[in-house]
Amino acid sequence: MSSDSPLELKKELLDDFYAECDELLTSIRAELTRLEATVDGRDPDPGTIEALFRHLHSLKGISAIVGLRPAEQLAHGAEDLLRALSKKTVRLSPVILEALQVATQRLGQIVSGHRRRKALPDIGEILKQLRQLVPARTKPPMESAAVSEASPEVKADPLEAARQQGLQLYSVSFSPSANLDARGVNVNAVRERLKAIGQIVRATPSVREGSIVFEFVVGVRETPADFAPWENDGLHFEAIPASAPDGETARTAQSRDAEDAESLSLTPSHIVRVDLARLDELMRITGEMVIHRSRLEERINQEKSGPGLKEVNLALARSLRELREAISRVRMVPIAEIFTRMPFVVRDLVRNSEKKVRVSLEGHQTEVDKYLVERLKEPLLHLVRNAFAHGIESPAERTAAGKPPEATILLRARSAGEALVIQIRDDGRGVDLVALAARASALGLKVPESLDAGSALRILCTPGFSTRDEADLAAGRGVGMAVVANTVRELGGTLALDSTLGLGTEFTLRLPLTLSIAEAIIVSVGQETCAVPQSAVDEIIQPSAGEARLIQGTTVIPYRGSLLPIIRLRTMFKLPDTPGGTLTVLVVSSERGAIGLVVDRVRAQREIVIRPLADRLLRVPGISGATELGDGRPILILDPVAITQGVVRPPSDSPVDANLPEARVS
Amino acid sequence: MTLAETYIIFELDGAAYAVSSKHVLHIAMLEHVTPVPNTAPAVDGVVFSRGEVIPAINLRVRFGLPRQTHTERTRLVFLKVQQRVVALIVDAAREFQRIPAGSIQPIQETLVGIEGNYVEGVATLKNRSVLILDVGAVLTLEEIVPPPAASAAALPAT
Repeated sequence: MSSDSPLELKKELLDDFYAECDELLTSIRAELTRLEATVDGRDPDPGTIEALFRHLHSLKGISAIVGLRPAEQLAHGAEDLLRALSKKTVRLSPVILEALQVATQRLGQIVSGHRRRKALPDIGEILKQLRQLVPARTKPPMESAAVSEASPEVKADPLEAARQQGLQLYSVSFSPSANLDARGVNVNAVRERLKAIGQIVRATPSVREGSIVFEFVVGVRETPADFAPWENDGLHFEAIPASAPDGETARTAQSRDAEDAESLSLTPSHIVRVDLARLDELMRITGEMVIHRSRLEERINQEKSGPGLKEVNLALARSLRELREAISRVRMVPIAEIFTRMPFVVRDLVRNSEKKVRVSLEGHQTEVDKYLVERLKEPLLHLVRNAFAHGIESPAERTAAGKPPEATILLRARSAGEALVIQIRDDGRGVDLVALAARASALGLKVPESLDAGSALRILCTPGFSTRDEADLAAGRGVGMAVVANTVRELGGTLALDSTLGLGTEFTLRLPLTLSIAEAIIVSVGQETCAVPQSAVDEIIQPSAGEARLIQGTTVIPYRGSLLPIIRLRTMFKLPDTPGGTLTVLVVSSERGAIGLVVDRVRAQREIVIRPLADRLLRVPGISGATELGDGRPILILDPVAITQGVVRPPSDSPVDANLPEARVS
Repeated sequence: MTLAETYIIFELDGAAYAVSSKHVLHIAMLEHVTPVPNTAPAVDGVVFSRGEVIPAINLRVRFGLPRQTHTERTRLVFLKVQQRVVALIVDAAREFQRIPAGSIQPIQETLVGIEGNYVEGVATLKNRSVLILDVGAVLTLEEIVPPPAASAAALPAT
């Protein structure tokens, strides 16, 4: 399979295009947010205007290359407006800012529409608006002074630099074809040949009439004596005269811009764009190495190997840990990717409503695994829409309550140890627990006596629950919160709710930051083997079965001067009791105190790779995932804290008395 | 518009079923299923496939048929339906078969047992009937999973 076939190249080109558009749009949104702060009459920061111009110019260029006309036109329209702003022929106003915001939004929709092969939004309206905002004067040609002002370094340098080295510049164009390819003349071969005779100053792929054309600018010390061998292979040389200041003679304005944009993105940098799938693969392989090393360690311990071997194993463990951490770091991106969208989302909602809301962002530089970012987009969007729709009151209500008419939705991200914490807080009306309970009952849900934040959250996250009778545009179709809760759980995290009636609501998402490898204690329960995360286990004790007592329905054993309630894991697995003289108990602690988990046997302590139990059929409280110890058989990972939720702790002042009934425990 | 789609044919309790190959990821021998407590009765447990934990659904139990011990013919049919990957435990699975759309009839009332809900049609090939499986219906969650009890009830009481 020749990777140079036009179709393959086009696909790669498009993948790059989409990735680059994503980055550019994120940056554009961030700059527009910055601009917003100055719209009240102060002069906008020229750096921001220039950055916006540059990004839109790049977007225009790459859109031109892949032939996405609407994006090209729209970016061009926005560019004109920014040029006017930078030259101060027009002042920044809310109307102008809004036009830029809408244009950015449309650009995002165009790119995503193109990607999904869906209909593209109409841009007639916004184009007209942009045009009208630019003061009427003779429009400069696309290749204008403003462009070179905005990015002179990139345009002039490569060619000038080459000339200054005494190289002759030629433009060489190459159109791949099946015939040429059959003779071994493909773009890589061409590249090599050109490198052999000189320096490739610039390489621009473009799509003309559906096929790819490569245009190289080559600097050679000596002009080739004979161009015939090149011509025969479809390579056409054209000298670039030194007189043109940027080496352009017979190019059209469009290809000039295309080159500029392309050269901007081909400028060597130390950024490498990597497909997430490749990083997943690296992670998977690393996970397997962890398993192998763990088995090695078991063997070393079993076979009583000498200290030398143990040392090597430790060194290996250290290196593996470094490797894992290094790969994790590669996958990290700032959460700004999601955060910068929020002001725009809220702006849209505000447009269609009487409510006034502003968005405040904190910690958008917090780095998060790319996979997490992708999974969190929808849940966070939903929480923000939710806050807007249900939390925030109308300006009149707010004023009546003594609050400022404009509400604030705060999104805050920070890393706390091994966890990522994201908070979405609004200063709206808070959760009305009474109304919530009433609504839940009306829907037939079981409602506990006293509603606390935890049970309120559970109710909100029940599929089908909604506090509105009809779904409204913003939120409330009754699926949203359930999906948020599921996603958070699937990612191994927790969701918490904190709310004060009249003051506001805060949702806190806590997600594990680092990759899912942990130390675990491997235990047997009947025929089954399970893993218990070591971090949850305080100690392992082996009391005699005779010490167990039954107090008010809870089996306890004496432990460190008080009582330790215990749970038999065999019961969880619906296995019958077996008699035994000694209990093996893992002491697990939680905020509610210590609890003991009774297992049959502790088999080993191993590093495990945690695989989530993603499918809905596998949602079982107390089981947090699965792993394997090297033989391909899944073993379950228990969630000790969840298991201990069901325990009713006897009052702490209960007498532990030899006269109390003995509990038969196994 | 394809006139004949390719199906994987598997056996369950003597009857032949077909599932469109576009849903089938691969078929594997059944080596070990790790039971997961407190899941629906039809969920026998989980298996590993390519680093992922996949639920294994016992299709006999799902269809209300009596369980049988696994033999060397028992197979795991890995399906991907709308982003979910699930494995079905079946008595045997071997064949590929092209089934022309024209030879598929909607099921008649008489043929319907509990499995009728999961069958979207019958194809008659070379004097045997093959029931075309409605994969979506087989995996419909509400039917597999009983309504959620309070979470405490699912955990062992002391």
